[in-house]
Amino acid sequence: MELKVEALKCTGCRICEFACNYHHDDSISPIGSSMMFYQEEKKNYYGMMVKRAKTLYLGRPEGEQILQPGEQIEGASASAKPILLRIACDGCGEEENGPVCIQACPYAVLSMEGE
Amino acid sequence: METMNNYNGIILIVDLESKECETEDLSEELLEKALGGAAVNMELYEQYKDRDPLILGSGFFTATFMPFACAGVITGKSPVTGTVAHVPFGWQTGVELKLTGFDFVVILGKSDNPVRLWLHDGLSDIDDSSDIWGRDTWESTDKIREAYGDEMIQTFLIGKAGENRVLSAQVSENYWGSRDKAGLGAVFGEKNIKAIAMRGLGALEVAEGFFQKCVELKNEIINGTIKGKAGLKDIAADLGMDSDIIEKLKSMTHRNNASFNCPYPYYTFLKYREAPDAMAMDGEPEPGCLVSDLSGFASLQSAGLDGPRAMEKCCRLGLDPTSAGMILKKQGASNLEALDKLAETGHDKAEAATCWDIENNNEKEISQTAGAFSAAVPPKGIFANQEESAQWWIHRQALSYVLGLDPIIMLMVPEMTDEKIVEFVQVSAEWDEFSLDDLKRITAELIEKSK
Ligand code: SF4
Ligand code: SF4
Repeated sequence: MELKVEALKCTGCRICEFACNYHHDDSISPIGSSMMFYQEEKKNYYGMMVKRAKTLYLGRPEGEQILQPGEQIEGASASAKPILLRIACDGCGEEENGPVCIQACPYAVLSMEGE
Repeated sequence: METMNNYNGIILIVDLESKECETEDLSEELLEKALGGAAVNMELYEQYKDRDPLILGSGFFTATFMPFACAGVITGKSPVTGTVAHVPFGWQTGVELKLTGFDFVVILGKSDNPVRLWLHDGLSDIDDSSDIWGRDTWESTDKIREAYGDEMIQTFLIGKAGENRVLSAQVSENYWGSRDKAGLGAVFGEKNIKAIAMRGLGALEVAEGFFQKCVELKNEIINGTIKGKAGLKDIAADLGMDSDIIEKLKSMTHRNNASFNCPYPYYTFLKYREAPDAMAMDGEPEPGCLVSDLSGFASLQSAGLDGPRAMEKCCRLGLDPTSAGMILKKQGASNLEALDKLAETGHDKAEAATCWDIENNNEKEISQTAGAFSAAVPPKGIFANQEESAQWWIHRQALSYVLGLDPIIMLMVPEMTDEKIVEFVQVSAEWDEFSLDDLKRITAELIEKSK
Protein backbone atom coordinates (compact mmCIF):
# COMPACT_ATOMS: atom_id res chain seq x y z
CA MET A 1 0.00 0.00 0.00
CA GLU A 2 1.34 3.44 -0.89
CA LEU A 3 0.10 6.88 0.11
CA LYS A 4 -1.21 9.03 -2.73
CA VAL A 5 -1.85 12.79 -2.86
CA GLU A 6 -4.53 14.48 -4.98
CA ALA A 7 -2.60 17.72 -5.04
CA LEU A 8 -5.27 19.97 -6.52
CA LYS A 9 -7.60 19.24 -3.61
CA CYS A 10 -4.87 20.16 -1.12
CA THR A 11 -5.10 23.55 0.60
CA GLY A 12 -1.62 23.47 2.12
CA CYS A 13 -2.84 23.31 5.72
CA ARG A 14 0.07 20.97 6.59
CA ILE A 15 -1.65 19.11 9.42
CA CYS A 16 -0.94 15.78 7.69
CA GLU A 17 2.78 16.50 7.91
CA PHE A 18 2.54 17.14 11.66
CA ALA A 19 0.27 14.13 12.13
CA CYS A 20 2.84 11.86 10.49
CA ASN A 21 5.45 13.11 12.95
CA TYR A 22 3.03 12.21 15.74
CA HIS A 23 2.75 8.68 14.34
CA HIS A 24 6.52 8.24 14.31
CA ASP A 25 7.45 10.18 17.42
CA ASP A 26 4.37 10.89 19.57
CA SER A 27 5.04 14.64 19.35
CA ILE A 28 3.70 17.44 17.13
CA SER A 29 6.32 18.89 14.78
CA PRO A 30 7.23 18.74 11.09
CA ILE A 31 10.77 17.47 11.67
CA GLY A 32 10.32 13.71 11.81
CA SER A 33 7.58 13.38 9.23
CA SER A 34 7.68 11.15 6.14
CA MET A 35 5.75 13.92 4.37
CA MET A 36 6.86 17.39 3.51
CA PHE A 37 4.99 20.39 2.22
CA TYR A 38 6.83 22.26 -0.52
CA GLN A 39 5.97 25.52 -2.16
CA GLU A 40 6.91 28.41 -4.37
CA GLU A 41 4.90 30.88 -2.33
CA LYS A 42 4.72 33.83 -4.73
CA LYS A 43 3.45 31.53 -7.48
CA ASN A 44 1.03 29.78 -5.14
CA TYR A 45 2.57 26.55 -6.39
CA TYR A 46 2.54 23.88 -3.74
CA GLY A 47 2.15 20.21 -3.06
CA MET A 48 3.07 17.43 -0.71
CA MET A 49 5.91 14.96 -1.04
CA VAL A 50 6.16 11.59 0.62
CA LYS A 51 9.31 9.65 1.39
CA ARG A 52 8.62 6.08 0.35
CA ALA A 53 10.88 3.13 1.13
CA LYS A 54 12.73 3.22 -2.18
CA THR A 55 11.46 6.31 -3.96
CA LEU A 56 10.29 9.85 -3.37
CA TYR A 57 6.68 10.56 -4.31
CA LEU A 58 5.69 14.08 -5.30
CA GLY A 59 2.05 15.12 -5.34
CA ARG A 60 2.36 18.08 -7.72
CA PRO A 61 -0.44 20.32 -8.93
CA GLU A 62 0.31 19.15 -12.50
CA GLY A 63 0.16 15.51 -11.51
CA GLU A 64 2.11 12.96 -9.55
CA GLN A 65 5.76 12.16 -10.02
CA ILE A 66 7.96 9.41 -8.61
CA LEU A 67 11.68 10.05 -8.24
CA GLN A 68 14.25 7.28 -8.06
CA PRO A 69 17.29 7.61 -5.76
CA GLY A 70 19.73 10.19 -7.13
CA GLU A 71 17.13 12.02 -9.25
CA GLN A 72 16.90 15.80 -8.69
CA ILE A 73 13.80 17.43 -7.22
CA GLU A 74 12.90 20.07 -9.76
CA GLY A 75 10.58 22.93 -9.03
CA ALA A 76 10.14 21.99 -5.40
CA SER A 77 11.90 24.42 -3.11
CA ALA A 78 15.40 23.78 -1.82
CA SER A 79 13.85 23.51 1.65
CA ALA A 80 12.30 20.25 0.51
CA LYS A 81 15.62 18.44 0.23
CA PRO A 82 15.87 17.36 3.90
CA ILE A 83 13.08 14.87 3.24
CA LEU A 84 15.69 12.58 1.73
CA LEU A 85 17.06 12.05 5.23
CA ARG A 86 13.66 11.31 6.75
CA ILE A 87 12.15 8.02 7.82
CA ALA A 88 10.08 6.40 5.05
CA CYS A 89 6.30 6.09 5.18
CA ASP A 90 5.35 2.80 6.81
CA GLY A 91 1.67 3.06 5.90
CA CYS A 92 0.71 3.39 9.59
CA GLY A 93 0.05 -0.35 9.60
CA GLU A 94 -0.29 -0.53 13.36
CA GLU A 95 -2.50 2.49 13.87
CA GLU A 96 -5.92 1.40 15.11
CA ASN A 97 -7.86 3.94 13.02
CA GLY A 98 -5.70 3.78 9.91
CA PRO A 99 -3.09 6.22 8.58
CA VAL A 100 -3.02 9.27 10.82
CA CYS A 101 -2.26 11.66 7.94
CA ILE A 102 -5.48 10.56 6.22
CA GLN A 103 -7.41 10.96 9.47
CA ALA A 104 -6.05 14.46 9.99
CA CYS A 105 -6.60 15.82 6.47
CA PRO A 106 -9.75 17.99 6.30
CA TYR A 107 -10.09 17.75 2.51
CA ALA A 108 -9.81 14.03 1.64
CA VAL A 109 -6.64 14.66 -0.35
CA LEU A 110 -4.81 11.55 0.79
CA SER A 111 -5.53 7.89 0.17
CA MET A 112 -3.85 4.50 0.23
CA GLU A 113 -3.50 2.64 -3.00
CA GLY A 114 -2.31 -0.78 -4.09
CA GLU A 115 -1.59 -4.02 -2.29
CA MET B 1 -1.08 21.05 34.29
CA GLU B 2 1.30 19.69 31.66
CA THR B 3 2.62 22.93 30.13
CA MET B 4 4.92 21.22 27.61
CA ASN B 5 1.92 19.91 25.65
CA ASN B 6 1.03 23.46 24.69
CA TYR B 7 4.13 25.58 25.19
CA ASN B 8 7.92 25.48 25.07
CA GLY B 9 7.97 27.35 28.38
CA ILE B 10 10.09 30.28 27.20
CA ILE B 11 9.54 34.05 26.91
CA LEU B 12 12.16 35.94 24.92
CA ILE B 13 12.98 39.51 25.95
CA VAL B 14 14.65 41.55 23.22
CA ASP B 15 16.24 44.86 24.15
CA LEU B 16 16.76 46.89 20.99
CA GLU B 17 18.83 49.52 22.78
CA SER B 18 21.45 47.24 24.29
CA LYS B 19 20.97 44.72 21.42
CA GLU B 20 20.71 41.94 23.94
CA CYS B 21 18.29 39.05 24.17
CA GLU B 22 17.49 37.08 27.27
CA THR B 23 14.92 34.49 28.21
CA GLU B 24 12.50 34.05 31.08
CA ASP B 25 10.51 30.98 32.01
CA LEU B 26 6.88 31.01 31.05
CA SER B 27 5.51 30.18 34.45
CA GLU B 28 2.59 27.93 35.25
CA GLU B 29 1.17 30.77 37.38
CA LEU B 30 1.04 33.07 34.36
CA LEU B 31 -0.68 30.40 32.26
CA GLU B 32 -3.18 29.69 35.02
CA LYS B 33 -3.92 33.39 35.23
CA ALA B 34 -4.08 34.23 31.53
CA LEU B 35 -3.89 30.94 29.54
CA GLY B 36 -2.16 32.33 26.45
CA GLY B 37 -2.20 34.59 23.39
CA ALA B 38 -3.47 38.12 23.87
CA ALA B 39 -4.24 37.61 27.57
CA VAL B 40 -0.61 36.72 28.35
CA ASN B 41 0.50 39.50 25.96
CA MET B 42 -1.52 41.96 28.07
CA GLU B 43 0.18 40.80 31.28
CA LEU B 44 3.59 41.27 29.66
CA TYR B 45 2.54 44.59 28.15
CA GLU B 46 1.65 45.91 31.60
CA GLN B 47 4.87 44.56 33.09
CA TYR B 48 7.05 46.37 30.53
CA LYS B 49 4.76 49.32 29.82
CA ASP B 50 7.37 52.03 30.34
CA ARG B 51 9.59 50.64 27.56
CA ASP B 52 7.07 50.82 24.72
CA PRO B 53 6.75 47.05 24.36
CA LEU B 54 5.69 45.21 21.24
CA ILE B 55 4.73 41.65 22.07
CA LEU B 56 4.38 38.59 19.89
CA GLY B 57 2.38 35.84 21.52
CA SER B 58 1.25 32.38 20.55
CA GLY B 59 -2.08 31.04 21.67
CA PHE B 60 -2.69 28.17 24.07
CA PHE B 61 -3.51 25.76 21.21
CA THR B 62 -1.33 27.32 18.48
CA ALA B 63 0.57 24.63 16.53
CA THR B 64 -1.35 21.77 18.12
CA PHE B 65 -3.90 19.37 16.57
CA MET B 66 -6.81 21.52 17.79
CA PRO B 67 -8.75 22.44 14.61
CA PHE B 68 -7.85 25.89 13.20
CA ALA B 69 -5.16 26.51 15.84
CA CYS B 70 -3.04 28.57 13.48
CA ALA B 71 -3.05 31.96 15.15
CA GLY B 72 -0.94 34.19 17.31
CA VAL B 73 -1.26 37.85 18.30
CA ILE B 74 0.92 40.95 18.17
CA THR B 75 0.13 43.43 20.95
CA GLY B 76 1.36 47.00 21.04
CA LYS B 77 0.26 50.60 21.39
CA SER B 78 -1.50 51.72 18.24
CA PRO B 79 -0.35 55.07 16.87
CA VAL B 80 -3.81 55.37 15.32
CA THR B 81 -5.84 55.14 18.53
CA GLY B 82 -3.15 55.82 21.13
CA THR B 83 -4.33 52.73 23.02
CA VAL B 84 -3.37 49.07 23.07
CA ALA B 85 -4.15 46.96 19.99
CA HIS B 86 -4.06 43.22 19.34
CA VAL B 87 -3.38 42.06 15.78
CA PRO B 88 -4.08 38.39 15.13
CA PHE B 89 -1.76 36.64 12.67
CA GLY B 90 -2.22 33.32 10.92
CA TRP B 91 -1.09 31.72 7.66
CA GLN B 92 2.03 29.80 8.81
CA THR B 93 3.46 32.52 11.08
CA GLY B 94 1.66 31.53 14.30
CA VAL B 95 2.90 27.97 14.06
CA GLU B 96 6.39 29.01 13.07
CA LEU B 97 6.69 31.35 16.07
CA LYS B 98 5.91 28.52 18.48
CA LEU B 99 8.22 26.12 16.67
CA THR B 100 11.14 28.56 17.05
CA GLY B 101 11.08 27.61 20.72
CA PHE B 102 9.79 31.00 21.91
CA ASP B 103 6.18 31.19 23.01
CA PHE B 104 6.19 34.94 23.62
CA VAL B 105 8.59 37.62 22.42
CA VAL B 106 8.76 40.99 24.17
CA ILE B 107 10.51 43.69 22.11
CA LEU B 108 11.62 46.70 24.12
CA GLY B 109 12.91 50.12 23.19
CA LYS B 110 14.22 51.30 19.88
CA SER B 111 17.25 50.39 17.80
CA ASP B 112 19.53 53.12 16.48
CA ASN B 113 19.96 51.32 13.15
CA PRO B 114 17.67 49.13 11.00
CA VAL B 115 17.64 45.59 12.34
CA ARG B 116 15.81 42.34 11.97
CA LEU B 117 15.19 39.70 14.54
CA TRP B 118 16.09 36.14 13.52
CA LEU B 119 14.39 33.53 15.68
CA HIS B 120 15.34 29.95 14.96
CA ASP B 121 15.54 26.70 16.90
CA GLY B 122 15.63 28.32 20.34
CA LEU B 123 18.18 30.95 19.26
CA SER B 124 17.66 34.67 18.74
CA ASP B 125 19.83 37.12 16.81
CA ILE B 126 19.46 40.83 16.25
CA ASP B 127 20.96 41.29 12.77
CA ASP B 128 21.67 44.43 10.81
CA SER B 129 18.98 45.00 8.20
CA SER B 130 20.35 47.85 6.13
CA ASP B 131 20.51 45.42 3.16
CA ILE B 132 16.72 45.43 2.87
CA TRP B 133 15.75 48.77 4.39
CA GLY B 134 14.02 50.67 1.57
CA ARG B 135 12.93 47.51 -0.21
CA ASP B 136 9.33 46.38 -0.52
CA THR B 137 7.94 43.41 1.43
CA TRP B 138 8.17 41.06 -1.56
CA GLU B 139 11.84 41.73 -2.22
CA SER B 140 12.56 41.74 1.49
CA THR B 141 10.91 38.36 2.09
CA ASP B 142 12.92 36.89 -0.79
CA LYS B 143 16.16 38.43 0.50
CA ILE B 144 15.58 37.21 4.06
CA ARG B 145 14.91 33.67 2.87
CA GLU B 146 18.02 33.83 0.70
CA ALA B 147 20.18 35.27 3.48
CA TYR B 148 19.22 32.56 5.98
CA GLY B 149 19.06 29.83 3.34
CA ASP B 150 15.55 28.52 3.87
CA GLU B 151 12.47 29.13 1.73
CA MET B 152 10.08 28.10 4.50
CA ILE B 153 11.12 30.98 6.78
CA GLN B 154 8.06 32.94 7.93
CA THR B 155 8.28 36.67 8.42
CA PHE B 156 6.65 39.73 9.89
CA LEU B 157 7.96 42.76 8.09
CA ILE B 158 7.28 46.27 6.92
CA GLY B 159 7.47 48.04 3.59
CA LYS B 160 7.90 51.71 2.72
CA ALA B 161 4.82 52.75 4.69
CA GLY B 162 6.18 51.33 7.93
CA GLU B 163 9.65 52.71 7.34
CA ASN B 164 8.08 56.13 6.83
CA ARG B 165 5.92 55.61 9.95
CA VAL B 166 2.75 56.31 8.05
CA LEU B 167 -0.34 55.75 10.19
CA SER B 168 -1.85 53.33 7.66
CA ALA B 169 1.30 51.19 7.74
CA GLN B 170 0.73 47.53 8.33
CA VAL B 171 2.91 44.69 9.56
CA SER B 172 2.96 42.15 6.74
CA GLU B 173 3.05 38.36 7.01
CA ASN B 174 5.53 37.35 4.29
CA TYR B 175 4.31 38.91 1.02
CA TRP B 176 0.65 39.13 1.87
CA GLY B 177 -0.27 41.85 4.35
CA SER B 178 -2.10 41.08 7.57
CA ARG B 179 -5.02 42.02 9.78
CA ASP B 180 -3.15 45.00 11.15
CA LYS B 181 -5.57 47.93 11.08
CA ALA B 182 -3.87 49.57 14.06
CA GLY B 183 -0.75 50.96 12.39
CA LEU B 184 1.63 48.54 14.12
CA GLY B 185 3.69 48.72 10.92
CA ALA B 186 4.56 52.27 11.95
CA VAL B 187 5.60 50.96 15.39
CA PHE B 188 8.01 48.55 13.67
CA GLY B 189 9.35 51.56 11.71
CA GLU B 190 9.67 53.66 14.85
CA LYS B 191 11.65 50.89 16.53
CA ASN B 192 13.78 50.45 13.40
CA ILE B 193 12.75 46.81 13.02
CA LYS B 194 12.45 45.90 9.39
CA ALA B 195 11.54 42.29 9.97
CA ILE B 196 11.16 39.36 12.30
CA ALA B 197 12.19 36.12 10.59
CA MET B 198 11.20 32.79 12.10
CA ARG B 199 12.06 29.19 11.43
CA GLY B 200 11.76 26.41 13.90
CA LEU B 201 11.84 22.71 13.98
CA GLY B 202 10.71 22.42 17.57
CA ALA B 203 8.15 19.97 18.91
CA LEU B 204 5.32 19.90 21.43
CA GLU B 205 4.25 16.88 23.41
CA VAL B 206 0.77 15.47 22.84
CA ALA B 207 -1.53 14.25 25.61
CA GLU B 208 -2.98 10.76 25.38
CA GLY B 209 -6.21 10.80 23.36
CA PHE B 210 -5.88 14.43 22.24
CA PHE B 211 -5.17 13.66 18.57
CA GLN B 212 -8.26 11.44 18.27
CA LYS B 213 -10.48 14.04 19.93
CA CYS B 214 -9.22 16.68 17.51
CA VAL B 215 -9.88 14.45 14.50
CA GLU B 216 -13.45 13.89 15.72
CA LEU B 217 -14.04 17.61 16.21
CA LYS B 218 -12.50 18.40 12.81
CA ASN B 219 -14.88 15.86 11.19
CA GLU B 220 -17.84 17.45 12.96
CA ILE B 221 -16.74 20.87 11.69
CA ILE B 222 -16.18 19.87 8.06
CA ASN B 223 -19.59 18.21 7.98
CA GLY B 224 -21.28 21.19 9.63
CA THR B 225 -22.06 24.71 8.46
CA ILE B 226 -18.95 25.12 6.30
CA LYS B 227 -19.60 21.99 4.24
CA GLY B 228 -19.38 22.68 0.50
CA LYS B 229 -18.06 26.20 0.96
CA ALA B 230 -14.59 27.58 0.31
CA GLY B 231 -12.68 30.77 -0.31
CA LEU B 232 -13.37 34.45 0.24
CA LYS B 233 -16.08 34.45 -2.41
CA ASP B 234 -18.45 32.36 -0.27
CA ILE B 235 -17.78 34.55 2.76
CA ALA B 236 -18.42 37.70 0.70
CA ALA B 237 -21.68 36.21 -0.63
CA ASP B 238 -22.83 35.25 2.88
CA LEU B 239 -22.08 38.74 4.15
CA GLY B 240 -24.13 40.19 1.31
CA MET B 241 -21.22 42.13 -0.19
CA ASP B 242 -21.32 43.77 -3.61
CA SER B 243 -21.78 41.43 -6.57
CA ASP B 244 -18.77 43.09 -8.30
CA ILE B 245 -16.56 41.93 -5.46
CA ILE B 246 -17.94 38.40 -5.53
CA GLU B 247 -17.59 38.19 -9.31
CA LYS B 248 -14.02 39.42 -9.26
CA LEU B 249 -13.08 36.91 -6.59
CA LYS B 250 -14.82 34.10 -8.47
CA SER B 251 -13.29 34.83 -11.85
CA MET B 252 -9.72 35.25 -10.63
CA THR B 253 -9.39 32.54 -8.00
CA HIS B 254 -6.45 30.25 -8.63
CA ARG B 255 -6.65 28.13 -5.47
CA ASN B 256 -8.14 28.56 -2.01
CA ASN B 257 -5.47 28.00 0.60
CA ALA B 258 -5.73 27.31 4.30
CA SER B 259 -3.66 28.48 7.22
CA PHE B 260 -2.08 25.77 9.34
CA ASN B 261 -4.60 23.08 10.34
CA CYS B 262 -7.61 25.08 9.11
CA PRO B 263 -10.73 23.32 7.86
CA TYR B 264 -11.92 26.37 5.87
CA PRO B 265 -9.56 27.70 3.16
CA TYR B 266 -10.19 31.43 2.84
CA TYR B 267 -6.71 32.62 1.81
CA THR B 268 -7.64 33.12 -1.82
CA PHE B 269 -4.91 33.38 -4.42
CA LEU B 270 -5.99 35.63 -7.28
CA LYS B 271 -4.15 35.35 -10.58
CA TYR B 272 -4.16 38.24 -13.03
CA ARG B 273 -0.84 37.97 -14.84
CA GLU B 274 -1.68 34.52 -16.14
CA ALA B 275 -4.79 32.38 -16.44
CA PRO B 276 -6.25 31.60 -13.00
CA ASP B 277 -6.38 27.90 -13.86
CA ALA B 278 -2.66 27.70 -14.79
CA MET B 279 -1.16 25.15 -12.40
CA ALA B 280 2.32 24.51 -13.81
CA MET B 281 5.58 25.63 -12.21
CA ASP B 282 6.74 27.58 -15.25
CA GLY B 283 5.09 30.79 -16.38
CA GLU B 284 4.92 34.11 -14.58
CA PRO B 285 7.18 34.33 -11.52
CA GLU B 286 4.73 36.68 -9.78
CA PRO B 287 1.33 35.80 -11.25
CA GLY B 288 -0.92 37.34 -8.62
CA CYS B 289 -1.63 37.99 -4.98
CA LEU B 290 -2.87 36.04 -1.96
CA VAL B 291 -5.84 37.85 -0.44
CA SER B 292 -7.39 37.21 2.97
CA ASP B 293 -8.59 40.71 3.93
CA LEU B 294 -12.08 41.19 2.51
CA SER B 295 -12.56 44.63 4.06
CA GLY B 296 -9.32 45.83 2.43
CA PHE B 297 -10.28 44.34 -0.92
CA ALA B 298 -13.74 45.94 -0.78
CA SER B 299 -12.31 49.30 0.26
CA LEU B 300 -9.88 49.45 -2.68
CA GLN B 301 -12.60 48.38 -5.11
CA SER B 302 -14.90 51.02 -3.72
CA ALA B 303 -12.21 53.67 -4.32
CA GLY B 304 -12.36 52.73 -8.01
CA LEU B 305 -9.14 50.69 -8.03
CA ASP B 306 -8.76 47.19 -9.42
CA GLY B 307 -8.97 45.20 -6.16
CA PRO B 308 -6.43 42.42 -6.91
CA ARG B 309 -3.67 44.66 -8.28
CA ALA B 310 -4.25 47.32 -5.64
CA MET B 311 -4.04 44.63 -2.95
CA GLU B 312 -0.66 43.59 -4.34
CA LYS B 313 0.50 47.19 -4.27
CA CYS B 314 -0.63 47.63 -0.66
CA CYS B 315 1.06 44.36 0.32
CA ARG B 316 4.33 45.45 -1.27
CA LEU B 317 4.22 48.86 0.38
CA GLY B 318 3.03 47.47 3.71
CA LEU B 319 -0.12 49.62 3.66
CA ASP B 320 -3.43 48.71 5.26
CA PRO B 321 -5.73 48.43 2.21
CA THR B 322 -8.87 49.36 4.12
CA SER B 323 -7.52 52.66 5.32
CA ALA B 324 -5.69 53.32 2.02
CA GLY B 325 -8.86 52.72 0.01
CA MET B 326 -10.86 55.11 2.19
CA ILE B 327 -8.22 57.84 1.94
CA LEU B 328 -7.95 57.50 -1.84
CA LYS B 329 -11.73 57.56 -2.16
CA LYS B 330 -11.82 60.86 -0.29
CA GLN B 331 -9.03 62.23 -2.45
CA GLY B 332 -10.78 61.01 -5.60
CA ALA B 333 -7.54 59.31 -6.61
CA SER B 334 -8.11 55.93 -8.21
CA ASN B 335 -4.66 54.97 -9.42
CA LEU B 336 -1.91 52.79 -8.05
CA GLU B 337 0.59 55.67 -7.93
CA ALA B 338 -1.56 57.34 -5.29
CA LEU B 339 -0.81 54.35 -3.05
CA ASP B 340 2.95 54.94 -3.54
CA LYS B 341 2.44 58.53 -2.53
CA LEU B 342 0.44 57.55 0.52
CA ALA B 343 3.22 55.20 1.67
CA GLU B 344 5.75 57.97 1.12
CA THR B 345 4.18 61.01 2.68
CA GLY B 346 1.37 59.61 4.79
CA HIS B 347 -1.52 61.65 6.01
CA ASP B 348 -2.55 63.37 9.22
CA LYS B 349 -4.88 60.78 10.54
CA ALA B 350 -5.60 57.20 9.50
CA GLU B 351 -9.17 56.66 8.44
CA ALA B 352 -11.10 54.58 10.93
CA ALA B 353 -11.10 51.12 9.44
CA THR B 354 -14.85 50.72 9.37
CA CYS B 355 -15.79 49.78 5.89
CA TRP B 356 -17.94 46.72 6.37
CA ASP B 357 -20.87 47.79 4.30
CA ILE B 358 -23.03 44.82 5.28
CA GLU B 359 -26.32 44.13 6.95
CA ASN B 360 -26.58 43.73 10.73
CA ASN B 361 -23.40 45.67 11.11
CA ASN B 362 -22.13 45.63 14.68
CA GLU B 363 -19.02 47.61 13.84
CA LYS B 364 -19.76 50.70 15.85
CA GLU B 365 -20.71 48.86 19.01
CA ILE B 366 -17.70 46.56 18.66
CA SER B 367 -15.25 49.41 18.19
CA GLN B 368 -16.62 51.14 21.30
CA THR B 369 -16.37 48.03 23.46
CA ALA B 370 -13.41 46.17 21.99
CA GLY B 371 -11.58 48.54 19.66
CA ALA B 372 -8.33 46.72 20.42
CA PHE B 373 -9.48 43.73 18.33
CA SER B 374 -8.87 43.71 14.58
CA ALA B 375 -11.51 45.27 12.33
CA ALA B 376 -10.26 43.05 9.50
CA VAL B 377 -12.53 40.33 10.88
CA PRO B 378 -16.14 40.58 9.64
CA PRO B 379 -18.28 42.03 12.46
CA LYS B 380 -20.89 39.24 12.46
CA GLY B 381 -21.34 35.49 12.24
CA ILE B 382 -20.64 33.77 8.93
CA PHE B 383 -22.66 30.90 7.38
CA ALA B 384 -24.11 29.55 10.59
CA ASN B 385 -27.46 30.64 11.78
CA GLN B 386 -26.11 31.76 15.12
CA GLU B 387 -26.26 34.65 17.51
CA GLU B 388 -24.72 37.70 15.94
CA SER B 389 -24.72 40.41 18.58
CA ALA B 390 -21.68 42.59 19.19
CA GLN B 391 -21.22 40.93 22.59
CA TRP B 392 -21.20 37.48 21.00
CA TRP B 393 -18.61 38.64 18.41
CA ILE B 394 -16.35 40.13 21.08
CA HIS B 395 -16.47 36.96 23.17
CA ARG B 396 -15.69 34.74 20.16
CA GLN B 397 -12.78 37.00 19.21
CA ALA B 398 -11.40 37.06 22.74
CA LEU B 399 -11.49 33.25 22.74
CA SER B 400 -9.64 33.04 19.46
CA TYR B 401 -7.01 35.63 20.51
CA VAL B 402 -6.30 33.73 23.74
CA LEU B 403 -6.39 30.21 22.37
CA GLY B 404 -4.70 30.81 19.00
CA LEU B 405 -7.75 29.87 16.94
CA ASP B 406 -8.35 31.54 13.59
CA PRO B 407 -10.59 34.56 14.35
CA ILE B 408 -12.59 34.33 11.10
CA ILE B 409 -13.26 30.59 11.27
CA MET B 410 -14.28 31.19 14.88
CA LEU B 411 -17.29 33.10 13.47
CA MET B 412 -18.28 30.19 11.20
CA VAL B 413 -18.31 27.12 13.36
CA PRO B 414 -20.96 26.70 16.08
CA GLU B 415 -19.43 23.28 16.69
CA MET B 416 -16.63 25.00 18.67
CA THR B 417 -18.59 25.76 21.84
CA ASP B 418 -17.20 27.21 25.08
CA GLU B 419 -17.83 23.86 26.78
CA LYS B 420 -15.88 22.03 24.09
CA ILE B 421 -13.00 24.46 24.45
CA VAL B 422 -12.86 23.79 28.20
CA GLU B 423 -12.87 20.04 27.57
CA PHE B 424 -10.02 20.37 25.05
CA VAL B 425 -7.96 22.55 27.41
CA GLN B 426 -8.42 19.89 30.10
CA VAL B 427 -7.38 17.02 27.83
CA SER B 428 -4.55 18.74 25.98
CA ALA B 429 -2.83 20.07 29.10
CA GLU B 430 -3.93 17.23 31.41
CA TRP B 431 -5.49 19.96 33.52
CA ASP B 432 -8.75 18.66 35.02
CA GLU B 433 -9.27 21.68 37.27
CA PHE B 434 -9.67 24.10 34.35
CA SER B 435 -13.30 25.23 34.25
CA LEU B 436 -15.77 27.24 32.22
CA ASP B 437 -15.57 29.94 34.88
CA ASP B 438 -11.79 30.15 34.33
CA LEU B 439 -12.31 30.57 30.59
CA LYS B 440 -14.96 33.26 31.11
CA ARG B 441 -12.81 35.12 33.64
CA ILE B 442 -9.78 35.14 31.31
CA THR B 443 -11.69 36.40 28.26
CA ALA B 444 -13.63 38.98 30.32
CA GLU B 445 -10.39 40.33 31.79
CA LEU B 446 -8.81 40.55 28.33
CA ILE B 447 -11.78 42.50 27.01
CA GLU B 448 -11.76 44.81 30.02
CA LYS B 449 -8.01 45.47 29.90
CA SER B 450 -8.06 46.06 26.15
CA LYS B 451 -10.60 48.86 26.30
S1 SF4 C 1 0.67 6.71 6.20
FE1 SF4 C 1 1.53 7.05 8.24
S2 SF4 C 1 3.73 6.95 7.95
FE2 SF4 C 1 2.83 7.20 5.92
S3 SF4 C 1 2.86 9.40 5.56
FE3 SF4 C 1 0.86 8.91 6.45
S4 SF4 C 1 1.15 9.22 8.65
FE4 SF4 C 1 3.18 9.09 7.72
S1 SF4 D 1 -3.81 17.75 5.48
FE1 SF4 D 1 -4.68 17.47 3.45
S2 SF4 D 1 -5.15 19.55 2.74
FE2 SF4 D 1 -3.77 19.76 4.50
S3 SF4 D 1 -1.74 19.85 3.53
FE3 SF4 D 1 -2.12 17.71 4.03
S4 SF4 D 1 -2.96 16.86 2.17
FE4 SF4 D 1 -3.11 19.07 1.99
